[in-house]
Amino acid sequence: MAEKLIPITLKVNGKEYKVEVKPNETLLFVLRNKLNIKSVKGTCYRGECGVCTVLLNGKPVKSCLVLAAEADGAEIITLEGLAPFGTLAPIQKAFIEHGAFQCGFCTPGFILTAHWLLTNKPDATEEEIKEVLSGLICRCTGYKQIIEAIKAAAKYYKQDKQKQ
Amino acid sequence: MAASKSVLVFHTLLPEFEYFRPKTLQEALELLDKYKGDARILAGGTDLLVDMRMRIKQPKYVIDIKGIDELHTLKYEEGKGLTIGATVTLDELLNNKIVKEKYYVLWDAIRQLADTHLRMKATLVGNICNASPAADSAPALLVLKAKVNIASVNGTRTVEIKDFFKWVKKTILEPNEMVTSIFIPEPPEGAKGRYLKFVRSAEDLALVGIAALVANPKDPAKRIVRIALSSVAPTPVIVEEVEELFKQDKPLSELAEEAVKLVMSKVSPITDVRATKELREHMVEFGTRYLLKTLLEG
Repeated sequence: MAEKLIPITLKVNGKEYKVEVKPNETLLFVLRNKLNIKSVKGTCYRGECGVCTVLLNGKPVKSCLVLAAEADGAEIITLEGLAPFGTLAPIQKAFIEHGAFQCGFCTPGFILTAHWLLTNKPDATEEEIKEVLSGLICRCTGYKQIIEAIKAAAKYYKQDKQKQ
Repeated sequence: MAASKSVLVFHTLLPEFEYFRPKTLQEALELLDKYKGDARILAGGTDLLVDMRMRIKQPKYVIDIKGIDELHTLKYEEGKGLTIGATVTLDELLNNKIVKEKYYVLWDAIRQLADTHLRMKATLVGNICNASPAADSAPALLVLKAKVNIASVNGTRTVEIKDFFKWVKKTILEPNEMVTSIFIPEPPEGAKGRYLKFVRSAEDLALVGIAALVANPKDPAKRIVRIALSSVAPTPVIVEEVEELFKQDKPLSELAEEAVKLVMSKVSPITDVRATKELREHMVEFGTRYLLKTLLEG
């Protein structure tokens, strides 16, 4: 079957991209291979590990289970979008300070998920943090440092919320 | 067409297909009627895309229904019930006050279904159309006596959720039909419910899932007790005899034990990679007793 190319527009980290995609290309594939955004990675390709997490219209989703064509017109934030000018976001600093990664492979998914949680719920309890992280897999840290980093970063998000 | 499941082939790419994103239900139904079994409906995609990746499903045409406004209905009418459209996500239901307050057993099931990320995309209608015996929302919908609204180019029909599932991953849908919404009638006055899910880890499929709904436990004439289960048979099941059993004017503890025996006699779990038959039977026995005790006393 000759596959028709579908023209789509994606706003990734504030920048607009016009790309042509095949129907069977996932958002993960297009971000990595057509837009060259390499923080988004694929491992299980079936929605289990969360390494491919991006924020799609403000919500954390696993981009291996999103067709690029489905995302036409969407706003997407990847890890790169949290530090657009090279200055790390508080959640990124907290991950470094608490040693919340070793190999770093899964880290983008964890940081984006934590950023989403704290933006919406800066007073999230440890139980709520654990619940939200349950769809992500880290094989190095044992999660403890990740949870500590998220709890530590919460104060910056609370301050941000008070300023608004 | 289904790939052999005994051979592990790891595909990172999806098979090729043609993609449609209709704007109206009529358009979607016409596409479905034209392509029938060669087409698949895409809502959340969290089951479909996995099955396509594994080559379990290889549709030639994928019809994305998220552009159809009328399928995104989430409407509650007091005294009647709740209508949940085909593209309403599990996350939207989890954040809905009516669902949490009036239909707690469903809320409790959705809370335990997959994970935060998948719930952002996955839909309730998708969960039942996938027709997994382990579908977490199914037992809750069964005890709530939900109805499934179905459409095709030839018209619409409504079936009881208990008649919707046919076999493992099979529903009563004809190839040219799709589910447009689920309707859940107003639950019995004062009803309480819970979904108990046995898992190995947070994101696991249910080893056994049990939903229970209890209303007016103290009054035999008005008492309503319903039990439904997942992962214990080829389809999710409701043990309808439980409701009749509890109409009897006997001590509640006695009825609860009879209900446990009744539920045990109606399930037929299997041994698979996730749990043995015996362990599942134990979970059914323990879980049913635990839920009944908690809800009847409360």
